[in-house]
Amino acid sequence: MRTLLRFGKNSRLRFVSHLDLQRFFQRALNRTGLPIAFSQGFNPHAVMSFASALAVGWTSEYEILDVKLAAPMGRGRVEEAMRAALPEDLPVLGVRMVDDRFPAAMSLVRCADYRIIPEGTDAAAILAAVEPYLAAEHVMGVRKTKSGEREIDLRPLTLSLAARDGSLYARLMLTERDTLKPDVLLAGLAGLAGVQVPRVHVHRLCLLGENAAGELSPLMELKNA
Amino acid sequence: MSLSERIDALLERVEKPVRYMGGEFGCVMKDPESVDVRYAFLFPDTYEVGMSHLGMKILYHTINAREDAWCERVFSPWVDMAALMRAEHVPLFSLESRTPVREFDLLGITLQYEMSFTNILEALDLAGIPLRREERDSGPFVICGGPCAFNPEPLAPFVDFFVLGDGEVSTHQTIDAYRQWKASGLPRAEYLRMVAKIPGVYVPSLYDVAYNADGTIASIAPKEGSGAPEMVYKALVNDLTHADYPEKLIVPYGEVVHNRIMLEIFRGCTRGCRFCQAGMIYRPVRERSMDRLLELAEKLVRATGYDEISLMSLSSGDYSCLPELAREMVRRYAGRRVKISLPSQRIDNVLTDTLKETQKVRKTALTLAPEAGTQRLRDVINKGVTEEDLVRSVTDAFEQGWSAVKLYFMLGLPTETDEDVLGIAHLADVVRSCYLSLPKEKRAPGLRITVSASVFVPKNFTPFQWAAQLGNDEVVRRQQLLKRELSKIKGVDFKYHAMDLSYIEAVFARGDRRLADVLERAWRLGCRFDGWSDQFRYDLWKRAFVDCGLDPGFYATRERPEDEIFPWEHLDAGVSKEFLLREWKKAQSAERTQDCRKGCVGCGMRRYEGACR
Repeated sequence: MRTLLRFGKNSRLRFVSHLDLQRFFQRALNRTGLPIAFSQGFNPHAVMSFASALAVGWTSEYEILDVKLAAPMGRGRVEEAMRAALPEDLPVLGVRMVDDRFPAAMSLVRCADYRIIPEGTDAAAILAAVEPYLAAEHVMGVRKTKSGEREIDLRPLTLSLAARDGSLYARLMLTERDTLKPDVLLAGLAGLAGVQVPRVHVHRLCLLGENAAGELSPLMELKNA
Repeated sequence: MSLSERIDALLERVEKPVRYMGGEFGCVMKDPESVDVRYAFLFPDTYEVGMSHLGMKILYHTINAREDAWCERVFSPWVDMAALMRAEHVPLFSLESRTPVREFDLLGITLQYEMSFTNILEALDLAGIPLRREERDSGPFVICGGPCAFNPEPLAPFVDFFVLGDGEVSTHQTIDAYRQWKASGLPRAEYLRMVAKIPGVYVPSLYDVAYNADGTIASIAPKEGSGAPEMVYKALVNDLTHADYPEKLIVPYGEVVHNRIMLEIFRGCTRGCRFCQAGMIYRPVRERSMDRLLELAEKLVRATGYDEISLMSLSSGDYSCLPELAREMVRRYAGRRVKISLPSQRIDNVLTDTLKETQKVRKTALTLAPEAGTQRLRDVINKGVTEEDLVRSVTDAFEQGWSAVKLYFMLGLPTETDEDVLGIAHLADVVRSCYLSLPKEKRAPGLRITVSASVFVPKNFTPFQWAAQLGNDEVVRRQQLLKRELSKIKGVDFKYHAMDLSYIEAVFARGDRRLADVLERAWRLGCRFDGWSDQFRYDLWKRAFVDCGLDPGFYATRERPEDEIFPWEHLDAGVSKEFLLREWKKAQSAERTQDCRKGCVGCGMRRYEGACR
């Protein structure tokens, strides 16, 4: 049996790196007292994985930790233990129990929703660039990966984009092959607007997967994956 | 913009923002309106270093157990953050509530090593608190404790009072006195008179110091009518089993130096190594009962989720029930993947049992500290270790599967000769032979021997408080001599350092009040984080001494006559001056003094009520 834990990462903790968060959760899972499954080997560790890493500096209300349990547990009990083991700046926002055959949360992620708040004097220009961006057939940008830089077309990776109340709301592809990160999107918008890339606050709103019918659904509600 | 938002804006621009973040699991939040006393606890080094410190965890816990007080943490901002804070006018703040330090009632600072002293001035300045006590008419009282509080004089003009000895009780007494004083509405000076009556509290402004023409001290005495005691005796907690100890801990997000449960199994040491200040000032030995330790271990494992428990003390092998304790902890925790580790191992213990127990869960480099290369010099320093002890310990360890050994030594100990220096290389060779004498199939592959030689720094309240530190040229010659000799032995890694830092450390370890000017000057010239070799600026320190007209050699490399009045003459660390002098004389004739478990050696602790049974 596995549990999918949805949690938030509040502003205070936005500088905690993904690696530090992994270490933190190893200890947090120990604190829960739940029958967590551990890996074999010389240095056993809790069998867990994150659906998607969150960049340093970003906040979120939709992070998912996929944890394997060594014995079946009720959802309520798991949720209660998780709440007690996490600090208030990593709030528990949902718990879902799934069968071992359920695909790993990481493999289900198709795209993510973000709220992006540009700051400074160029903020308005960035927001105004949404219209030409959506009208364009191609917007080229540079994706940095471990193996180097690669030119990509941002447009097909942008599933939706809107400007509202001083913020950008974007649904961006997030798979191993096709990924558009908010900072790359920002660079594209800044290019269209002819301004410098502004400082932004990025907040992840949702992680989505695709069900058997090919419809997008928030990961915690995904059925028939 | 609020202070918190202004801090946030800086965090985007610094190297390690997690250092200044707060909000960790286990940190204590309170409503500021609900408490009478706001206590800021400053560890004058980085977050990673300070969060590894046991004393801070104990005091944080015990203060926050009070409903009327809230203790928050403060660490030294790294140089990048400090520069930004100055540029953007962000004052030094606490991690929990991000309150400016100058708004607290009390500012407690722990003095773990002399080379953190400039960080204290830096912190006061960043907080907007005037450095010198006499320039302050509001803001928090500045309190210092920790081992270096036993030589407080170089910090005397900056600090309102020092707390000598154990803090578990005295900290509460200073907070109680603060509440009384605050309610009384009396002037600031009155609080200092009140705390001067608390055991262990030293108020430097209530004492006059007079000097002789040669720079030595003529007299130290309490000011007329001040009510301050002629002798300040350290605060002592006799019963550690019932003393307050944290039952939950802050679990940091980033990695810190010691990221594990620290369980203090006892305080003090009976060995009597003559160079060791901790071994003297933390006397007598006080053990926590095994039942209490097992109870604490269980609570802490549950509360923190840590997978390692470190059994802490000055000499953990000396815990009277160590084999039983180690066995029981391994039994309880091996199945729960919690490792048990024993730092500070000594080579003269019967380690085998314990090694076997701890090995089940963890195997790191075996660290041993013979300290000196020959038996004669080990007798001088009263390090009760023989070559046979070393042979037995490393042979046992190699048989149990260890293959890495770290050996710690000091260069420049009193009476050291070239023969003693070469003896270090001899011991490294002996360790290598022990390994090679085992059949190949019985030993782990890959022998690694690390020899680390630091430069001896004489400390006050030790028998070597009269000794001269060895001069730089001679230290360099002996380092090179040892380096050449060790290069002849295969597989030995030699670690040593330039002595500049040890020299300044030696100055402050036995310094007087006049050094406060040098300290302030060095800080104004840009010295800070002096314990970090990449930040240490020997050139600036030298200039500071010249600017202030003081000779560092007077403090570091001068042997003191027996009748000299020390800058700490009015303080009592538990061991008596008669005992220390007796030990200093015995050292010079390489005469040993027994471990006081085998019989009282008359160190002076019996003058403290209930201290030695």
